[in-house]
Amino acid sequence: MKPTRALAIAFGALLLTWVAQAAVGYLQVGRLEPVLNEETNLTVPPVPSGLAHTGARVFASQGCLECHSLSARGPKDSADLTRGWGQRRSVARDYLFRDPAMLGTARIGPDLSNIGARMPEGDKLMQHLYDPRLLKKNSTCPTHPWLFVKKPAGPKAEPDALQVSPDGWHQLLPSYHAKALVAYLQSLNANYALPEAPLK
Amino acid sequence: MNRSRLPQGSTAALVLILGSILASLVGAGLQLLANTQLLVPSLDRLIPMAWFNYGRLAPASQFLLSYGWLGSGLLGVLLILAPRFSGIAFRYGRLLFGGALLWQLAILSGFTQILLEGSSGLIGMPQPRFVSILLILSFLVLGTGLTRGLGRSWKSGPLLPRLYLLLALLAFPLGLGSAEALLRGTVTPGSVQIITQLLWHSFHQHLWLAPLGIALIFQLLPTLTGRAATSLNLGLLAWIATALFGGWLGTVRASDGPIPSWMQSTGVVASILMAFVAIGNGLLVQNLTEGRWEEIRRTVALRFLSVGAWSYAATYILLAFLSLPWVRPVMVFTVAWPALFEVFHFLFLGCVLAGSVYALLPVGREMGWPNSSALTWHFWCTTLGAAAAASGLLLAGSFQGLALSDAGVPTSTLASYLRPFLFVVIFAQFFWLVGQIAFASVLIASLLRLFPTAAPMAVFRNPTVIRPASIGHLHG
Repeated sequence: MKPTRALAIAFGALLLTWVAQAAVGYLQVGRLEPVLNEETNLTVPPVPSGLAHTGARVFASQGCLECHSLSARGPKDSADLTRGWGQRRSVARDYLFRDPAMLGTARIGPDLSNIGARMPEGDKLMQHLYDPRLLKKNSTCPTHPWLFVKKPAGPKAEPDALQVSPDGWHQLLPSYHAKALVAYLQSLNANYALPEAPLK
Repeated sequence: MNRSRLPQGSTAALVLILGSILASLVGAGLQLLANTQLLVPSLDRLIPMAWFNYGRLAPASQFLLSYGWLGSGLLGVLLILAPRFSGIAFRYGRLLFGGALLWQLAILSGFTQILLEGSSGLIGMPQPRFVSILLILSFLVLGTGLTRGLGRSWKSGPLLPRLYLLLALLAFPLGLGSAEALLRGTVTPGSVQIITQLLWHSFHQHLWLAPLGIALIFQLLPTLTGRAATSLNLGLLAWIATALFGGWLGTVRASDGPIPSWMQSTGVVASILMAFVAIGNGLLVQNLTEGRWEEIRRTVALRFLSVGAWSYAATYILLAFLSLPWVRPVMVFTVAWPALFEVFHFLFLGCVLAGSVYALLPVGREMGWPNSSALTWHFWCTTLGAAAAASGLLLAGSFQGLALSDAGVPTSTLASYLRPFLFVVIFAQFFWLVGQIAFASVLIASLLRLFPTAAPMAVFRNPTVIRPASIGHLHG
């Protein structure tokens, strides 16, 4: 085989792979648009807030994806829906406004694609972030104390202070990153039907 | 040592190899620490800092092992090999040295950024954008050096290593460059971002790292055994199939979800076909090594390369198994996939890299290896450690997958299925680290000439017959 032919075959094969996945993928799922939810008269999936958008980067930077996936699978393939991780399977349209779009590769902890519907309370999510073992004794999820600011407790607790105190004398206030991360987790709410994925 | 006699590019190769060994030690140490945190979650209270968190340690160690250890090391040994198999010496040694330093700078920057600022969350691309740019720039310099003379010397030696090297040299800049442009350079819809991440993951693992490893196998095994590959047509078919199917293997990491189903099905078919490709290449390796068991038993480089070659076949057979339509939905988000990468990185590429360093560094640096028991420690600790870690993870992944598929198993108990196996994995990874420390110490001792040299080709201790294998003709 001549070197020019080898070069042409190698380059052609790589280009073919790239075009077939990235370019055809773009034509198939990259041009999807939000759809109107007739019950709420809002378009879905919703565009995440600026805070939630920042939260997605905090989520990535804390390495949550090392243990959590962001994709609920259908009943044919898995027990995800029976476990209550979602009301329908995740589809390409769900990821339309996510940047960075994350899938995750491991499930040492539960799937989080619908955590905003499963655990909408911000204070519970904050407590979980500070110390997951406050809510679940045997949780393997790591603590994230650096996302909180410790301040002396005054006569009156600050409105967004956590309901737990590390020593009784201090209160814990969520940092901007903690608030952004919770906003992102709350935005992961897929309790709406899509044409290609009706609710179960 | 007369430094002026060393060929151009030799210092660049040494920088890459030493950087690779340092990255392997730090990366494996962090991986051990991260897995220990999974077993003992309260360990994170010892140092309540973000960089000590599992979510930072795990991606930092993956980055170090993938780009720092394997990427750097494979490029380093190829820099020694390329001018010899092309018969054309490098001319711009300082430029290559600059490229090697730039690669190390990228690794150091990527590692510290992931540890201090966190991963990007992108599959196969945890590093920030500037680190990718540094990696591409450095690769362009090193790759230009590696391609020098490749065309002109095309018919002067075995064809298969040249083909695989060519594929790897194209895949890295094309894959990483386009992935960076699509994921962080433009506004790409989220749904396409995931496809792009898996595409880069495939390019990185199966079209860059794996071809670099196969190139070394098909160059060094014939040289060390004195035989040529028996069927060039089979080799060519396997190469074309690797180029065509390698880029599809990442799509099997998803099941259902945002990836179009036809892409997932193509990925499954490609994975199964790649198992046949690996078996085809395995047959060629079998013909190269058949009847040479005594030599393989005695010669360190040959033994590592043989284990690496067989692990290459094992990797793709395991990948095909994990991709089977009735296995994939159960195993998709489990630690069975890290088991696959344990075989791929530590047994296939790690052994090929170690064998190549043992075979080629004496040629590049005019040095020899001591007759030390550290060689035996290196071989057994790294191979048994990696095999035990992979087996532990695969078993853990199987139980985890079955538990995930059974809605009756509470979510809170899922991690408990992993714990018994994590003991084995942590012990095995520690064992691997001991072997790598033995390798690092024997390498440093040899470079500094602290021990008397026994032979240019490293052999295991207590030889019945020491054969300094015929690598003389590698001296270009």
